[in-house]
Amino acid sequence: MWYYFSPKYTNVGYRPKQPLPYSHKLHAGDLGIDCRYCHYDIEASPVANLPPTSVCMNCHKMILPESEKLLKVRESYATGNPIEWIRVHKLADFAYFDHRAHLRAGVGCASCHGNVGQMEVVQQVEPLSMSWCLDCHRNPDKAIRPSDQVTNMKWTPPANQIEIAARLKTENKIAPPTDCSGCHR
Amino acid sequence: MINDDSNKNWRLNPAQTNPESDSVQKTETESVNFLKENFPALSEDLKSPLSRRSFMSIMGASMALAGLAGCRRPVEKIIPYVIPPENIVPGVPEYYATTMPFGMSAYGLIVETHEGRPTKIEGNPDHPSTRGMSNAYMQASLLDLYDPDRAKKLLHKGVETEWHNFVEFWQKLYPKYVESQGKGLAIISESFSSPTLGRLYREFKQKFPKAIWYAYDPINDENIYKGIKLATGRDLRPVYDYSKADIILSLDCDFLLSESESITAAHGFAERRRLEDESGSMNRLYVVEPTLSVTGGMADHRLAMNSVQIGSFIAVLTKELKKRGLAVKVDDQYLRLSEHNFDDKWISALADDLMANRGKSLIVAGRRQSESIHALVYALNFVLGNIGVTVNYVELKDSPENYDIDELYKAIDKGEVSTLMIFGCNPIYNLPYSISFGNQIKKIENTIYLSNHQNETSEYVNWLVPSSHYLESWGDTRAADGTLGIIQPLIQPLYESKSIFEMASLIVTGEDKGGFEIVRQTWKDLLPVLTFEKSWRQVLHDGLLRDNISAHIVAEPDWRKVRLGSPPLVSGSSKTSIIEFYPSASTFDGRYANNGWLQELPDPITKITWDNPALISPNTAKNHELQNGDMIKLSRRKFYDTHEPVDYEIEIPVWVTPGIAENTIILSLGYGRRKAGRVGDNIGFDVYPIRDYDSSYFMDGITLTKTGATHKLACTQEHHTMENRPIIRQATLEHYRRHPEFAPEMVEHPPLNSLWDERKYDEGYQWGMAIDLNLCIGCNACTIACQSENNIPVVGKDQVIRGREMHWIRVDRYFAGDDTNAEMMHMPVPCQHCENAPCEQVCPVQATQHDKEGLNNMVYNRCVGTRYCSNNCPYKVRRFNFYNYTKEIGEMLKMAQNPDVTVRSRGVMEKCTYCLQRINRAKIAAKIDNREVRDGEIVTACEQACPTGAISFGNLRDQKSRVAQLKKQNRNYGLLEELNTKPRTSYLARIKNPNPKLEQS
Repeated sequence: MWYYFSPKYTNVGYRPKQPLPYSHKLHAGDLGIDCRYCHYDIEASPVANLPPTSVCMNCHKMILPESEKLLKVRESYATGNPIEWIRVHKLADFAYFDHRAHLRAGVGCASCHGNVGQMEVVQQVEPLSMSWCLDCHRNPDKAIRPSDQVTNMKWTPPANQIEIAARLKTENKIAPPTDCSGCHR
Repeated sequence: MINDDSNKNWRLNPAQTNPESDSVQKTETESVNFLKENFPALSEDLKSPLSRRSFMSIMGASMALAGLAGCRRPVEKIIPYVIPPENIVPGVPEYYATTMPFGMSAYGLIVETHEGRPTKIEGNPDHPSTRGMSNAYMQASLLDLYDPDRAKKLLHKGVETEWHNFVEFWQKLYPKYVESQGKGLAIISESFSSPTLGRLYREFKQKFPKAIWYAYDPINDENIYKGIKLATGRDLRPVYDYSKADIILSLDCDFLLSESESITAAHGFAERRRLEDESGSMNRLYVVEPTLSVTGGMADHRLAMNSVQIGSFIAVLTKELKKRGLAVKVDDQYLRLSEHNFDDKWISALADDLMANRGKSLIVAGRRQSESIHALVYALNFVLGNIGVTVNYVELKDSPENYDIDELYKAIDKGEVSTLMIFGCNPIYNLPYSISFGNQIKKIENTIYLSNHQNETSEYVNWLVPSSHYLESWGDTRAADGTLGIIQPLIQPLYESKSIFEMASLIVTGEDKGGFEIVRQTWKDLLPVLTFEKSWRQVLHDGLLRDNISAHIVAEPDWRKVRLGSPPLVSGSSKTSIIEFYPSASTFDGRYANNGWLQELPDPITKITWDNPALISPNTAKNHELQNGDMIKLSRRKFYDTHEPVDYEIEIPVWVTPGIAENTIILSLGYGRRKAGRVGDNIGFDVYPIRDYDSSYFMDGITLTKTGATHKLACTQEHHTMENRPIIRQATLEHYRRHPEFAPEMVEHPPLNSLWDERKYDEGYQWGMAIDLNLCIGCNACTIACQSENNIPVVGKDQVIRGREMHWIRVDRYFAGDDTNAEMMHMPVPCQHCENAPCEQVCPVQATQHDKEGLNNMVYNRCVGTRYCSNNCPYKVRRFNFYNYTKEIGEMLKMAQNPDVTVRSRGVMEKCTYCLQRINRAKIAAKIDNREVRDGEIVTACEQACPTGAISFGNLRDQKSRVAQLKKQNRNYGLLEELNTKPRTSYLARIKNPNPKLEQS
């Protein structure tokens, strides 16, 4: 019975309604905007930032400036009240995940977040449980890709992935921690 | 002299047992007693009324509820900025330089902020008063910022009002006082050393020549300044350089902890105690003092004597120096003595040492000693050639000239004061005759009080203006050596508060200006005009103005003025005693009474928390038939000019401490606050009422009576004992030179073999720590720094009595020698991170495990709270959360928590992690740069705070790392390594440097 209480069953598929209908499929998928245009701090901070309203307005001052769907964005920009997004991907408070280290190692965004470029509404696709993290930490070969491919949503491992991964691991000194102290402080 | 006999080291005087356990002894069996003495936490629960059955039924109910609520995932929101502020990256801390004003001192800081809230304070490496290190007050001042009991609203006659109403009120009065040149206007402020306040102070004097501005601090350095002025005729401030002194004599000067500028003093002192090997040399410290201080604990030779005798001691020493041909131009008639029985040999050895080290020695006297002693000390340092080498004098600038508070008192009495302003101090609590002063204040028409709390004084005033914490305000400081520093806010004021800078500016100019503007106005005159903006930015970045120390002044003493007054009355008759007042190592003068971290910090000497017992020597205790915790009554008759004599008395518990002068009662100021806040109310005993302003630091003619009552004291020294084993290893320098390997050889044990194959630990980083006991002074800065860094909860007096204090690094204190001549040693004990960790072997759920890098990890979420690990830990460094201590700390205090460290819940074990969050931060930074972690890149919180550099942390596999070098030294030993625990933390044995002439006896 406890099996069904595991994150694989309770959390995968979590897709809360967000305060406004932002579409990753449109922006990241169809328009092909790089993840880091909006989530620009992922390489500088352990936590990935959500874009400030001003980043939305960079484009939407020009594009669809009258759109009803964007009313909340313009309101936020005018009043200074931030948009309150609902968090989808959440680790336990006692687990300390660092985006920088994973990007540096060449783990793609899609490895944990799924192909966001296909999502109209973002949902959790992986369990984000400890055993799921450890699967990759013990054997990262499948996830490691060249660093210029990390934000590529459509990347698939090439035939010689094992060789490439082995090369990347030595070049970048990738040795994912499997000890408790790696993530828990 | 060598302490190879471990039985000589003791923590608790065997003659003094806990009265609490005494009463139970008769009914309980011996084994329960043993349990009680050694593990108070366990024995308390044996008698718990909450039976297992009722506990399970309560748990059952709460689990059922949890089951229902647990189905749905709680909604969590992410709220991004609308327009992101420049330079702030959410999740990455920012560091800013600022300065903490503390009386006349200024401590340069680097403060860590997370998304705009300050979370950790460190010293500023560039600032001359901290050099990157800190003390317990500095570390704990962070908690004061978030104190939920702070004054939040401006009050007028008890009714909430707005700042602009006060501004209007003052602007109406202002022209009247300008016209009358300030007649009837009086200000009491804390002492300060600041260019802006100095400017406003001078403007005040100019604009209101008939007004008075008095600086009042219950503990101050006035005697030092007065003494130097007596000798030189100038207002000078001493700047000591202990690193250049071979011989130091301290006359009741606790320069390592409670005196001003103690951080740099400790650093300089430690420079000359640091040894690489047996060929090294060390300084030698002589201490004479009434109490046993941290400095006394580091002394190579120490005499306990009361303050009255210290005057005689310096007189005898001066005569001895004159005999040896030193040109002290003070006639013997001015060096009169009271009765004494000093050890002649001791004094002559000291005199020889001082003569042999002219220009390389230093005599220092504490702030408690009289101005004539300070004048004589100045003269002695002058003729010994020390001035300009071990001590320099700079001009005393930008600080108030003190008035006799009696003058103000009389003026109020005559009705001459119509407006009284009190900036920041708490006179109704800490003035000796506070009650009558309070009644006087009430007669004044306008009374205005700038205060961080609603406290004892605020009840007596019309206007209460909340004052800003230094982390919320603009300001500036002048450090002891003259370096100018800036106070810049790390956060907007949390409440409607004003800083002393804003308040003083309004009072002096009549205009309401912001702190930024006021401070900049001062600095326009201090920085070059043409490049002002650029220099100003540099000052903000650095936290100080570089290359700006004051000129050193050498002045020949005026020999006619240097003389000791007629000898004071001799105390020591068996009927009366002398009392000596000291600042508390926790609350200082009472200002930190509402700070839980400091209240729970064990006193460096007694290891008592949450209390301030009177300290007496074992002999005095025997004479009065006193035991630890017995209440005594101290009484004294006071005489005032205009009043009838009044008898004052206080009741206070005693604590028997070796090394205290005979017939002397040591009292700590700063406790017994009636109105401090939820933490500090009625904690300890107020000793101010018995204090007399004229001889404020010690008083004669005290009658001591035993009341028969007892008081329970929360002392951490009875817990976690490790007796009868060579815990601290110590030798004299001479012995060390003859037997360089004495420390590791102190324990003989058979070859250590494991029952199983041991892990190799031969790749990657291997973390370790070395603690040099020769440098540790026992100041507790590490304990508070750790508490702040690692979100360690405060548990309260009741829990400490049960042995449940949570400090991850405790500083053990051991005594050696006999009762009267006790030596004191300190030893910080964090988790030893044993490679063969006994705790790991008994954990049933693998909640504590080793990682590849040799760290003993504690996984909170796995822990089920069996406490087997704590039982099996020979070092007793594991701490258990008996309650959910952090559950109800409130939103405000949550802001002080470090977001990089898990906040622990009830029922889990915790302990030192070697600051794992800092290790990981450095490792990730190194990984991003594709390099190895550099030596010194990871600094643990305790290491960073330590003023003497006693703690070193690093990678043991890197042979060049500081910690690997230290562990190669022959003084290195592992604590209880004979148990084959293979601790990663090791200790370097303590070395003393006694005078060979005194050793032969």
